[in-house]
Amino acid sequence: MEFYPFMKKIIAFAFVFVLSLSSCEKDDICDPNTATTPRLVITFYDITKPSEVKNVNNLKVIGEGMTEGIVFNATATGELKYLANGSTISIPLKTNEDTTTYSFILNSTNLNPALVNTDKIQFNYTRENLFVSRACGYKTVFKLGPTDPLIHTDAASADGLWMQYVLIETDNIANENETHVKVYF
Amino acid sequence: MKHTLKYIFSFCLVFSVFLAQAQDLSQKGEPAKQTTTVKNPSDDLRFMGAIPETPKPATKPLSTDKKSDSIPVKKDRYGVRVGVDLFKLTRGLYDHDYKGIELVGDYRLSKKIYLAAEVGTEDKTTDDDLLNFTTKGSYLKMGFDYNAYQNWLDMENIISVGLRYGFSTFNQTLNHYDVYNTNPYFGEAPAVISGETFDGLTAHWVSVVTGVKAKVFNNVFVGFSLQLNGLIYNTKPTNFDNLYIPGFNRTYDGNFGVGFNYTVSYFIPIYKKRLSQVVKKFQSNEK
Repeated sequence: MEFYPFMKKIIAFAFVFVLSLSSCEKDDICDPNTATTPRLVITFYDITKPSEVKNVNNLKVIGEGMTEGIVFNATATGELKYLANGSTISIPLKTNEDTTTYSFILNSTNLNPALVNTDKIQFNYTRENLFVSRACGYKTVFKLGPTDPLIHTDAASADGLWMQYVLIETDNIANENETHVKVYF
Repeated sequence: MKHTLKYIFSFCLVFSVFLAQAQDLSQKGEPAKQTTTVKNPSDDLRFMGAIPETPKPATKPLSTDKKSDSIPVKKDRYGVRVGVDLFKLTRGLYDHDYKGIELVGDYRLSKKIYLAAEVGTEDKTTDDDLLNFTTKGSYLKMGFDYNAYQNWLDMENIISVGLRYGFSTFNQTLNHYDVYNTNPYFGEAPAVISGETFDGLTAHWVSVVTGVKAKVFNNVFVGFSLQLNGLIYNTKPTNFDNLYIPGFNRTYDGNFGVGFNYTVSYFIPIYKKRLSQVVKKFQSNEK
């Protein structure tokens, strides 16, 4: 029959096509470059020269109720991975609560307890969940405020505040490309 | 569940292939059978659907009928074919997240052109890694099929390529979702229960359909078809997306979809049309 090969081709095509469909069902993985839930970006400035950024020294940041600090240096081992020594840090906010409190421990590795200084900041904000895509689901964006966007207190040990001035640069935390909070010390 | 689906797909396809091939083989084998007992093509038709009867004894004398019916009068039957998609119908039995039905129909316009339509309704809950939502709605697809298959004698099989315009009205309920967080320092937040319903959504699309229909017996046809869908326009819910559209199925890359159906249909003949060129064709096939 002259059309028999044609038919065979169609059936073969259909076979391959349907099988390929059933195998590509799982391939939606969220692209790491997609902008999803942003972290709060804090940049440190020199209080004596406010236009210049200043590196912190062995800063460790621990969330309230947490035992381990935020990992700033994933490649380091042991205690070193919790230490920030740059001028900018990014810290996650809770996506299921309207408040997140962090302890910022400066000189955290110093053996002299007098030089270790802890400040606490409670961030208050409102949240909004925005649809991203099938693979990434939703992301949470934050807006600091509306009342008391941040409450800066000393630690229980009362060692004085090392952050001399905390300034909200922008209250909309929608991406990690900009500084949201400036800290002068 | 996805594995089950894969097997169902495969079984349906294997089944369909056998159907189609059974017919072709019986036709192909016809010249060889001339020395035995096959008298006329209608024997072959019966041969397709039912289990073949035990071969008649070879001692039976060669029939002379074959020569006398040298050129049968070929008449094409025209009418309406209506059917149901078995895949959607049976899916509800094993997939508790799915309820749906699709009715299919076509009307033969000319020798090769059929007007075709599918109408259906679906209620599907999609459970993705991060999202869980329910889509409910109805759809209508209308267009034509072009039969590319040259039928032998009075066979009425179809291998078709066609186009459809599809339209769906539906609603979506976002049941729950996860917030994607690449920095789960405080642990994974629990899923957010939403329950928000987005009503009055519509979608328009065009699909290219490739299908096979085989007459299994009398006026009963079994067929399957594949659809490639391209979304033209859809009203999107605010702060969500149409990730599944009834009739269109899952949206890939936002505007691409695929479909599959496995139908059983019944042909209602309305009139017959005699073909004048059948003699020529028949003779050319004989060579």
